[in-house]
Formats: sequence, structure tokens, C-alpha cells
Amino acid sequence: MVRLLSITIFLSLVTLSFATNGSDFESEVRPFLEKHCLACHGGEKTKGDVDFSIIHSMNDAEANPDLWEAVSLVIKDGEMPPEDEPQPDEKSASAFLSWIDNEFFGEIVSKPGVFQPRRLSGPEYRNTMRSLFGFDLEVDIIEAEQTVTERSLVLKLLPTDPPGASGFINDTRVARLSTNLWDQYSYLSDRALNRFFSMTKVASLPEAEKLVRDFVPRALRRDVTEKQITYILENLEGKSGEALVGSLEEEFNALLMSPAFLYRGFLMETDPSAEQQQVDDFELAERLSYFLWEDMPDEELFSLAREGKLHHPKTIEAQIDRMLASEKSRTLAESFGYQWLLLDQIHHERNDPPYLHALRTQPIDFLHYIFTNDRPVVELIDSEVTYFNSLTANFYGSDRKKLEKFVKPKGIERMVIPLQKVVLEESRSERGAGILTMPGVLGMNEGPILRGTWMLRQILGEHLGEPPADIPPIEAAAKGQDLTFRERFEAHRADKTCALCHDKIDPLGFALEGYDKYGGVIGKNQSQSKKQPKTPEKIDTSGQLPGGESFTSFQELQQLLLTTQREKIVRNAVEQMMAYALCRKLTRSDRPTVDALTTQILEENGTWRDLICGIAQSVPFTECINPKLIQE
Amino acid sequence: MTTNWNIDRRHFLRGAVGALVPLPFLNVMENAVAKNIAGEVEAPLRFMTLFKPNGVHPPSWNINGGSEFDFRMSPLMAPFAKHQDDLIILDNMGDFGFSSHANSARRFLAGRCDNTKTATVDQFIADKIGGETPTRSLELTTEGLFTNQIGCSYISYDQKGDPIPRESDPQLIFDRLFRNPMSDPGQRKKMTSLLDRVSDDAKTLQRKTGREDNETLDEYFTVLRETEKRLETMGSAANASTDFSKLKRPAPAANLNEQVETMLDLIALAMWTDQTRCISYMLGNSNSRMVFDFLGVKEQHHYLSHFFRNFSRHNIDGLLKISLWHMEKFDYLLTRLKSYKDHNGSLLDHSIVLFGSGMGHSDNHTAQRIPVILAGKGGGHLKTGRYLRYSKNQDLSRLHLALIQRFGVDMQEYGGATDPLPGLDGGAIEEYRERPFQSWTKVEGKKMTVQGRLRMSDNLDEAKVFYMDVAGEDPVRIEIEFRDFHDFNFPYHVGTPIQLAGTVTEKNGQPVLTKISELKSVFGKSKPNTRNG
Repeated sequence: MVRLLSITIFLSLVTLSFATNGSDFESEVRPFLEKHCLACHGGEKTKGDVDFSIIHSMNDAEANPDLWEAVSLVIKDGEMPPEDEPQPDEKSASAFLSWIDNEFFGEIVSKPGVFQPRRLSGPEYRNTMRSLFGFDLEVDIIEAEQTVTERSLVLKLLPTDPPGASGFINDTRVARLSTNLWDQYSYLSDRALNRFFSMTKVASLPEAEKLVRDFVPRALRRDVTEKQITYILENLEGKSGEALVGSLEEEFNALLMSPAFLYRGFLMETDPSAEQQQVDDFELAERLSYFLWEDMPDEELFSLAREGKLHHPKTIEAQIDRMLASEKSRTLAESFGYQWLLLDQIHHERNDPPYLHALRTQPIDFLHYIFTNDRPVVELIDSEVTYFNSLTANFYGSDRKKLEKFVKPKGIERMVIPLQKVVLEESRSERGAGILTMPGVLGMNEGPILRGTWMLRQILGEHLGEPPADIPPIEAAAKGQDLTFRERFEAHRADKTCALCHDKIDPLGFALEGYDKYGGVIGKNQSQSKKQPKTPEKIDTSGQLPGGESFTSFQELQQLLLTTQREKIVRNAVEQMMAYALCRKLTRSDRPTVDALTTQILEENGTWRDLICGIAQSVPFTECINPKLIQE
Repeated sequence: MTTNWNIDRRHFLRGAVGALVPLPFLNVMENAVAKNIAGEVEAPLRFMTLFKPNGVHPPSWNINGGSEFDFRMSPLMAPFAKHQDDLIILDNMGDFGFSSHANSARRFLAGRCDNTKTATVDQFIADKIGGETPTRSLELTTEGLFTNQIGCSYISYDQKGDPIPRESDPQLIFDRLFRNPMSDPGQRKKMTSLLDRVSDDAKTLQRKTGREDNETLDEYFTVLRETEKRLETMGSAANASTDFSKLKRPAPAANLNEQVETMLDLIALAMWTDQTRCISYMLGNSNSRMVFDFLGVKEQHHYLSHFFRNFSRHNIDGLLKISLWHMEKFDYLLTRLKSYKDHNGSLLDHSIVLFGSGMGHSDNHTAQRIPVILAGKGGGHLKTGRYLRYSKNQDLSRLHLALIQRFGVDMQEYGGATDPLPGLDGGAIEEYRERPFQSWTKVEGKKMTVQGRLRMSDNLDEAKVFYMDVAGEDPVRIEIEFRDFHDFNFPYHVGTPIQLAGTVTEKNGQPVLTKISELKSVFGKSKPNTRNG
């Protein structure tokens, strides 16, 4: 369980404990860059998109904070300068590194972001409309078994939101309001109100007033002033019957098309005298609700906000437990997990909807389970629990017998079958690495390089640049040579530039060579594959991590992931979930929170619930910088 | 559109009261309008297609015997038999061989399933006539996408031969046709006042917020201004848009039946108000997996359509209920089209409706005797009230070429056909003729050879039973397993004279053929192959 107070104290210590002590940019840094870096990263060449020629002064350096973190890492790891280039002497290297440390890491103060309203994402808008009206706007279409259709009218009509800088679509700053969006919002609002007033009878002014007093604060997701209510009521004055309903519809339509509804945060109350401050209770209710439910707050959150109780740690924790227990929390897996792990890429050449459903639902069901059942964060890659159904059961050896029999109704040829939770025994070693050994996830990336890249980026949180454009193709084996893909690939990556990333990627990918492209264990359960050899002559799953730890099998790699790589994995989980919760890319000011939560999860084998509670009570989540003061 | 009749109609619509289909009253007015302008303006010609999934149960569908003007509609045709005078029932459409579901969907409007690099007939027609209406064409459906075999979900294809997205929601269609702020003055007015209102509200908000917020608000105001500009452009264009605000948006459908009938209402209304002149509509995917629970049928349509393999009397009953329902929807559309007065006749008189499927026998997927019916007089282009059974199998592409030419498209070849299907305008055709043949039986030990006409059992309880009629003898009963039924393409030969050899056993004192060793057609092709036009 989280000890919230200790985090808070820890965070403030971080804030205070570093002071500026920078080396001089002109005397230490610029000469180092000119001597060791600029030849490849500036001027004519800008390898890896790193360009130091734009850094002329300390101001320029400060304007590119992310750059220095990467620079520091590659120098510390000896990756740069490349081996065949002159190496810096120890003294100038350490002076350079300590300049980076001091300027960019030394004095990070935990600060919340500057408050900025954010447009609701497509799914958030859909869910909010559903909660507000009590019904879904759906497309009239018959969903027969094995057919696929976008049921939600909202998602059908709204353009798909692109992922923002955070990697998540709830970071909508890049997806600006457009006239197309406006037309669709207007249509959806019209349609919802039309249906609403066909079900809700409003016969008199008092009835209308009652409706207004209920609807308006819920739509705006906070209490409104009496003035705002009166303003609307005045427009209804003297009307009855159809005219009254018509006016109500107009009023509500104006509300649903207003920035206060379409965006989050416009109406937040701030204290004009303070720069950094707690967000108001209604804003906190929204933050919690959109984080865990992708939806507007419910009545209980509203009433706690109204009573001003929501900032209390005990209240937040109790609310998180309540919210995680609700069905709505599945969006955490369906949106956060799905986008984080790129699960939209799960595919199968058979393109058979019930089978695809089984492949795609497995990680969602699993993530939902670990997110909401107080399971340790590292169970993401190490769990005896998984989910499957009869369509995917052949991946699980004798564990398949644990499935309860599912009987199709007579006359139904093929249908989507719900997955069942199964505790693995026989197939534990092959399928027990949580998300990593699910057939759909394994089949998502073809070949060791893409599999390794996915694991490195999505699980270990490594930021890899784009591969250079001028890579020569892997040469075919010369006549008489009997080389496996792996051997040929290793020759290819003898190149230093390639090795920089591939030393990290390849071991992870080749460790999974025991699984075929459909995720079956080669030689065991390959029934989903048609043209693959049953037993390739040699499967080499051994490898060595950049840190020197070697392994012979995927199972051994998994142990390394759980030990020497544990910190990276937990840190990545923390960063990903925080970016999702905050709906923005993390900044330097978030680092103390990330550090504290990572440490706490590592020390206590913390759970996803602990992480959620930690995020929900962190400075970036609960506070904001008053934008009005920034202006002055 | 600038024709007189149309403007009058629109004036009138403005005053119409209430319902989606205010029929009787409208027709009276329409008559008055039509009288005034009779003979002055030619009515536009419309094209509609209605696709029936999963082929048919041939014993219930086929017309056996009869001639061009003297024929009896089959049991499945009963629901629309009252429209006989407005129909041309085509027979012997298709070709030898079998058809997949995806191929059958493509064939329906492309003529042949291998005609995949060009547009379907409806799109050629839409290209020709769609430019004169606000909406070029509509491609509609009922069911979701069947991704396993994506071709099952589409009948309309564009010029590259790629599927055209279908729309399924009647409310959405209605709103696009009649509630579009860009074309409907009522909606435009509503949008303008909304823009004023939210703009005022947002300005109040603007005063309260700081710099960052204002950036977001600027984005909001920009969109408001752009929308306003677009509305002004539309308004000043003074185009022929009409105030449809008295038309009621259809209510959400409670079941499949309501959804389809609402869609058919809309098709008729869209045609009559001249919003579009070309619509294709699928009653389901070509392998429709829909469950018709409102008919009391719990099994999937596709499962039931394989009535030989999945035989039971219960299943046959279910299948026929579903098929009859499809036929009732065809009737519904025709009745609707007739109820709208259009110039000197009804809307149907100035339309061509193509109804049918892409395969014949629904279990064997036989590509021959595909159900195809044309309805409507097509402004005089079609001579209706007839049953045309061609002497030989006809590719659907010949029919399509004939239709394309009726709509004034200058095309001499379509889907391999260079000779349009004759007879639609009343011209002569080479009719199917019975030719004399001998019938006999021969028994050698366990082997029996019989020559005669093959037919299915009349008894619905005997879906797997066939008979050979032999002159002067009792009919020979045939009871075979699916394999023989399929391998020898029995459904193809039904109704024709064949020579059949097989193992004979005795049941209840009667000889029964059980295993087939050979099938020879007396006049036509005998061996099934994979060709399927």
C-alpha cells in the first residue's frame, strides 16, 4: 500500500536539495562540442537528427532540455564518440557531464504544468454524452455474428484523434478544433437532444426549470452560479408547449457547443494571488474521472467536490478503489493499455473476427485484471494468470482443459466467444511472461528485430531514434555458406552505427525465436500456421544484454527483465501512466514525481493501484500554475 | 434542377404537414401540378437495386413451365404477385458452375464475378444521371462488414473496381438528405443563431481567462467565423434548396423489419423529392449471418440457406420465412413507389428497379437460374408484365449492358458482353423450348440407369429427395448424400432431361437410387467445372 505522506515529503525534499553549480558554457562546453561532436552532429552532417550547430549559447542549451539527457547517456555508456574517433580525456568528459547534470538534472523542482484547457478526445466525448443523457448515440446497423461495425455514431462521425506528444490520444493539443469537427459536434448534439426531448416530457416552466438546474451543472461538470441559471431561464420566460421545448433544445444545444463543454478546464476557479496552487475540487474530480473512466465524474464525485473533500488523501484513495471496482474502469485497459502497447497492431492473416477478437481481447482482459485487482506492476511481464477461449486454447497445452465448455446456440455457425481467466500450470514457463508471451502480441511484430524494438520501446521505455535511411539490405548467404538469418544479421550489424541500437534490440528479439509468427511455440503448438517448418534446424535464443548479462533462453531473459532491468520497466510504466493521466508529455518538472514513484514501486513491489494512487496525489496531478500570473 | 414541376413540388413541400410520408394529400397536389405541365417536361428516369442475400430455395422460387404472358408466379413470389403487371421476371440468368458468396455479390451488379477492374452498373448510371441532383447516388446496406471475405459486404464498386462504403442508418441518411445546414434553409437559420449565441457566451468566458486559455479560445472563434462564412456562401448561392423542415426524421428502428422499411421509405422519398436518382441497397451481406428473431427464427440465415446439408423441416420453415420476408420488402418498395404520383404516372413508372441475388441454389451455390426481376416501366423503356425464360444461360452482364444503354450511357461492351440482353422493351427473344426426348429405365443387378426429367420432391419434408419422371412408369426416387448432390451439380440439372446411373436399393417395395456413378445431360453440359460467370 502507498504511504502517501512520505511521498509528499520526499517530493519536497527533492525540490530543495539541489543548487546551481554549473560549469561555464563558454569555457567548458562549447570547446567539448566543437572537438568531439560537431563533425558528425552539426554543420554539414547531422547524424541521428542531432544538431549542435544550433547551440550557440547557454540560452540555446536551455531551450533544448531533452537533448542533454540523451547526450549524457551516450557519453556515460561510452557509445559516443564512436570507438574509431578520438576519445575525450577523462577530465573534460566529466566536466562536460557534470555541467549537464547540474544544469539539467540538478535542480529539478517538482512543478505542475501551466494550466491549459484541452478538448475532449473522441472516446471521452462519446462517454461524456452517454453519461449526460443516459443513452448511447448509435448507428442503426445489424451486427450479425462475424461482422464488424463501428456501433458508436460519435466515433463513426468524429475524425480519429491522432496521438499527441505524449503518445496518447487524450493529449488533444495537436488535434485542434476544425470546421469539420464543428459540423460533426453540431450534428451529434442535435441528434442527442432530439432523442432526449422525445423521451423527456416538459410540460410547464417549473418542469423546465428543474431540468435546467439538473442538466446545466452536469454538462459543465461543476456547480454553476445562480446568474447562469437565471440567464437560461429568462430565455424560456413565457413559453409553453412546443415553443418551450424548442427553446430548451436551443439552450442545451448552445451549452453542448460551448467551449466549456467541448474542452476541459475552462471554468476552473483559480486563486489570483498564488502562482502554484491546488486545482479546484471539480477540476480534480474531472481529472480523476477522465483518468480512470475516460468519462465525466459521476454523482458521488460531484458531491464530494461540492463538499470540498476531494483533495483529502483518504478520500482520493477511497474514490480510486470505488472507481477501479466499477465496470467503467475497463477503459484504463482499453484506452491506456491499448495505446501504450500499440495493441491496435494485433492482426492475423485469417482475418476471422471471432479469432481476432480472442487475440485482441486477451491483453485487454489481462491488463484490466492487473490494473484493477491490486496486482504488482511487474506482473505485466510475469504472471500465472492469462485469458483465452476455445479458439486460442491450443496455445496453452493441457491448461486448455481448465476452460469451461462453451456451447454455441444451434444454427449459429461461428461466433465471438468470451475469454476465461485461467491460472497457468503446464504452460507457465512458455506463456507466463504476461503481455510478452501472448500469441496476439507475439504475432503483432514479425521477426526478431521488430519484436525486439517493440519490447525495448514499449516495455523498457527506451527512446530509439528512427533508423538511418541508407541501410543496406541484409545480404543473402553466399553459395555454400549455411548461415541462419541471425548469423547473417550479426555480420551486418558489425557496423558501429547499427550496433548502437541493435546491441539493445537484437538480444530481446532473438530470445523470442522459439515463437513462430503467429505466436505458437515452434514444435509444439503451431496449428495456427500453415507454411512454417515444424522444427527449424536450430533455434538460437541466447544473447547478451548491453550491460553484459547473458542468457540462453527467453525464460532466462525474463528473469533478467525482472531483476537487472526491473527499474527500467517500472520507470517506464510510471512514465506512461502519468503521461496518460496528465494528458500531456512529461516534462523535466515531472521527474521528481516519476523518480519517487519508481523508487516506491521498486521497494514495495508496488501494485498498479499504488501507482494510480501515487499519480492521483502527485503535484502535477493535483496542482496547477495559474495561467493568469504567467501572463504578467 | 430548374424544371417547373420540381419547383412547384418544392413550394408545396414547404407547406406539407408533419409526417415523413404525407401521401394521399401530396398526390392530389401532385396531380394538379402534373396536369399543368403535362407533356412539357420529361420525367427523370431513376435506378434502384435491391439485393437479396444467400440465393434462394429453388423449388419455392422457380417458375416451371408457362410462357411470356401466361405464367403462374411461384410460391416465393406470392408477396409481390400483385405487381405482376409492373414486372419482368427473368429466367435462365447466370451460367454453369458454382459461385462463392463474394463472387455472387460482385456478379449482381458487375455482370460477371471476374469483372473486377471497373465500376458496377449502378455507378455508370450514377455518373450519367447523378450530376443533376444534390446527391449523386446512395449505397445502402443493412448489415455490418464481413471482414473474412470482404467482398460479401459490397455490391457497388467504383471505377477502379474498389468497393464503395455503404451507409446503414436511416436517420443519418435522412439528415444528410433533408437536414443539411448547407442546403436546408431551416437548418441554416438554426446554425446561424447557434453561432451568434455561443460566440456571445464564449466572449464572456474569454474575459475570465488568461493567456493560454485565449489561445484555445482563438481556435474556437476561428472555427465559428469560418462556419459563418460557409453558411453565407451557401445562402447567397440561392440554389434550388428546399425547406424540408416539415418532414419528420424517422424514429430509431426497434428491429430489423422497421429499419429496412424505414430505409425503403427513405429511398422512395429521396427519389420523389429528386435528392438523388440512383440507389443500391443490400438487404444483407451476400452470406448474411443475420438472425431473424422477430420472425421467430433463431438460426442464422446463412446456416439455414444450406438447407440440404443442414436439413430439417424446422430449418426449411425458417429459411422460407426469411425468404418470404425478403420478398415482402420488395413488395413494400414497389408499393411505396407506386403511391407517389410523378408526372403522368407513378414514381415506379419512371423508375427501373433491379431486384435479385447473385446465385441460384443457396446450398449448392449454383451460378445458374439466378433470381432476377426488373420492376417499373422505366419511362417506357421496359415492357412489363412478362416472364422471359431465355433458351440459354445469360450472363448478367448482358442485362447490365442493356440497362446502361437505357440510361443513355454510350457503352458497347460491359463485363465481356457486347450484345445487350434482348427482350426488355418487348422485342423478340429466343425462348426456352422443350425438346422431345425419350425416357426409360434400365436395371442391371445393383445398377440402375434412368433417363428422364429431374425434379425436386414437392414435399418440403424431403429436401434431399429428387425424382426422375419417366413416361408410363412410376417416378424414380433418388436419395443421395450431399457429396453426390454437389459433385454432380444436381440443382443445375433440375427441370431438365438427364441420364442418371447409380446404385439401386429397394425401399417399401419401390426402387430408390442412392449412389450416383454418372450423370449425362441429354441436351446440355454434363460435367460441372469451376467456371462461374
